[in-house]
Amino acid sequence: MRVASKTVYDAARFNLASIQEQFYRANQVVATGKRITALSDDPVGLTQSLHVKSALSNLEQLGHNISMGKSWLTASESALSQAQDIISDARALCVQMVSGTIDLSQQAPAATIVQNHIDEIVSLGNTEINGQYVFAGWKTDTVPFGQDGTYHGDNHAFTIKIGNDTTIEIGADGEAIFQDLFTTLSDLKDALEGNDVEGIRAAMTNLDIDLDRITTKISDIGSKVLRMETNEQIFQEVTISSTQRLSEIEEADMAAAIIDLESREVVYKAALASSARIMQLSLVDFLS
Amino acid sequence: MSGLGLVLDIAKTALSTQRYGIDVTGHNIANVNNPSYSRQSPVIEAKEAVSYGGVLLGRGVETTNVVRATDQFIESQLSEQKSNEVAFQEMERYMQILEGFLNENSETSISVLLSDFWNLWHDISNNPAGSAERVAIWEHSALLAERFNSLEADLIQMKTDLTGAVSFGVGRINEITEEIAYLNTQIVAIETSTTANDLRDKRTALVSELSEYIDVKSFEQSNGSLTIITARGCVLVQGNEAYNLEMGGTNGDRVTWRSSGNAIVDITDYLANGKLGGWLTMRDEVIAKCELDLNALAKEFIWAVNYQHSQGVGLKLFEPDTTLTGTYKTSMDLDALEFGSEIQYIADGFKLWIEDRTDPANPVINAVSVDLSGLDGSSSLADVATAINNQIAAAGLAGVTASVSGDAIGFTAGSDYAFGFSDDNSNMLAALGVNTFFQGASAGTMELNPTLSNKDYIAAATIEADGSYASGDNTNALAITDLQYESNQISQWTCDRVNGNTESTITATFEHYYHGLVGAMGIISSSISRSREFNEVMVNELSQIRDSISAVSLDEEMTNLMEFQHAYEAAAKLIAVADEMLDELLSVK
Repeated sequence: MRVASKTVYDAARFNLASIQEQFYRANQVVATGKRITALSDDPVGLTQSLHVKSALSNLEQLGHNISMGKSWLTASESALSQAQDIISDARALCVQMVSGTIDLSQQAPAATIVQNHIDEIVSLGNTEINGQYVFAGWKTDTVPFGQDGTYHGDNHAFTIKIGNDTTIEIGADGEAIFQDLFTTLSDLKDALEGNDVEGIRAAMTNLDIDLDRITTKISDIGSKVLRMETNEQIFQEVTISSTQRLSEIEEADMAAAIIDLESREVVYKAALASSARIMQLSLVDFLS
Repeated sequence: MSGLGLVLDIAKTALSTQRYGIDVTGHNIANVNNPSYSRQSPVIEAKEAVSYGGVLLGRGVETTNVVRATDQFIESQLSEQKSNEVAFQEMERYMQILEGFLNENSETSISVLLSDFWNLWHDISNNPAGSAERVAIWEHSALLAERFNSLEADLIQMKTDLTGAVSFGVGRINEITEEIAYLNTQIVAIETSTTANDLRDKRTALVSELSEYIDVKSFEQSNGSLTIITARGCVLVQGNEAYNLEMGGTNGDRVTWRSSGNAIVDITDYLANGKLGGWLTMRDEVIAKCELDLNALAKEFIWAVNYQHSQGVGLKLFEPDTTLTGTYKTSMDLDALEFGSEIQYIADGFKLWIEDRTDPANPVINAVSVDLSGLDGSSSLADVATAINNQIAAAGLAGVTASVSGDAIGFTAGSDYAFGFSDDNSNMLAALGVNTFFQGASAGTMELNPTLSNKDYIAAATIEADGSYASGDNTNALAITDLQYESNQISQWTCDRVNGNTESTITATFEHYYHGLVGAMGIISSSISRSREFNEVMVNELSQIRDSISAVSLDEEMTNLMEFQHAYEAAAKLIAVADEMLDELLSVK
């Protein structure tokens, strides 16, 4: 083929430009450490990485939800186990009071003790986490129990989301848990004040029922905490594998990128050298 | 005639021919880097011999013509390929801008904002009564709506810029075609006697520039004039006539061609090559798709959130002595509402709860179960208001009145009454924009419902069957968080200028749909870049072929120069010899 003078210069221009573009891109990959710097670099990979990122964001949120749920359940559990202790104490008191060896004059102080128990249960029933009452049903911003044990909450249980399609009750209907206990304790107090041994015995039976109910509730909370921890563990594993997947999609394989950059550099240098040589030559220089 | 006179005569023709050759070589050297120049060469022929004494005697040499080395086929291939290349170059340039708009490497990209939007609803569901959570979702949703607005505004601005570029291009095309028509006239006039080499080069250059703007097909008439046609067979230049393109259409954004008979042809959708082809493809296919898809997403997203929000109740009912105004307006029938087609005209429509606070200590709440079966898509807002008011009265209740003002429905509470909604099976409330989260129905118009500037009205709770509602109830907030996992039917567009735009539906979550849109733009962008690279290589190869035929080689010209120079020296020597011979003769005594 006949090579025109212009062709020599055009070819140098064209080749140098396209090699330089590739060199620049290879450099971009090494400099940023990312495979994808623009949408068009790898649209399919980009779409996947966006999917993964939104899934990660969701997992992080569910993680927040779970840790909040766990703090609620821990608070409930500690309130309920304190209630258990109080019931045991009350029961022991009853045993003492019906044994017959107790002086009548001791029954009045015993009634005071029971009143203190009632007060303690009220404050346990009013357990709050960050201003939200755990045993108020959905009325989480209302103090659930009045001084006399009347319930101001409602009969729902506060529920949160701990998985894409999993919800879990972390709050509780305080009435269902504590109302009978209040009745039992105030009956007991009345019985003590009225020296009613039968009443005290009845209260003992009821205290057993209350204890049972609260124990069941505690074990229910335990199993919920377990469920949450299982989810949490799964989320952590998924987060790790997703993060890994994200870096596979987005991040450059540095060794390969640097080798690529170096090979482009070699090509670029060779093109510069050969262009410089061919552009210098002309018959004009050889005519005298 | 024979003799020394003939020798001198031959030498003279030789001298002038060689000098002519040097002129042409000089012209070639001078144009060595003129890209549209075709190298010229003299056509040298022996002069017609004369018969003298039965012998044919040569009479020297003459330059009969100067021709240019050119291949019309390659030239037209090249300009067609260039036309393609330029289209892709322009698309690539604008695509880079579009990629910038869709930049995902930032904390304020729509996909991040969407994820955060759901997360903040999770936060509300974790603490429905919390005011910080309510402020957060309010601020964040405003930001999300703003991002949708500004992306839409950017797309519209880009379309406007492209229309401006097209309009500028049309101006330049008209200048070029006028100039070609003028050159046609000149070339035809000159070529009655000789070839108009340089004018032809100039015309080729103009055709090449024209093809950088628009689709061009050209062919030469026998008299040397060039006819140029563009898309849809519209003639741009014929002989000494140029036919102008104009910006037309109702919005002035269409490219039209005017025939000699003043008929107007819209060629916009048929322009595929050159800058105009690139710009119009960007505007009417790529950006158009991006905009349509973005709006489809915004519309479905707004609807889904609004529908769920309208089922709920905030921390309090809508207060006494206030009017709650719907955000969607119509002066015509209900079908004309943005989401009018969603309304179900059913008996079990929605519940309007009215709380009577005449005795502040003992408020009484009752529901009107609104029956919409008497209405249909041709009913007006006033019909809706009347139906609701009649049913309030029929239920023996009072204190809340529905009315129409400014083409929107409004619910007004009397001084001792408050109200709320629940159980909307008809979609009516969301379609009216009552108790909704967003207003607007597209990316450009999306905004927060102004009612929510009182953040207590963010509806995380639900009014229960007995009329109770609790500030810690998060059932509606949980239902809204569920929307992020739900697959929706969302329109997806394919834009094709020639065959028209087609709508299909895909099933995807909102986030996945948006990711898909971003990915689709990336795919378009990378395929444009690949096409640009391919066309660049093609143009480069064709240019080399064209230049191997037409462009100047200095080495070659220097050789020619030597050749002509030596021939000139020889011809001069011939004159010297003839001179000596004449001297010899004249000295004979």
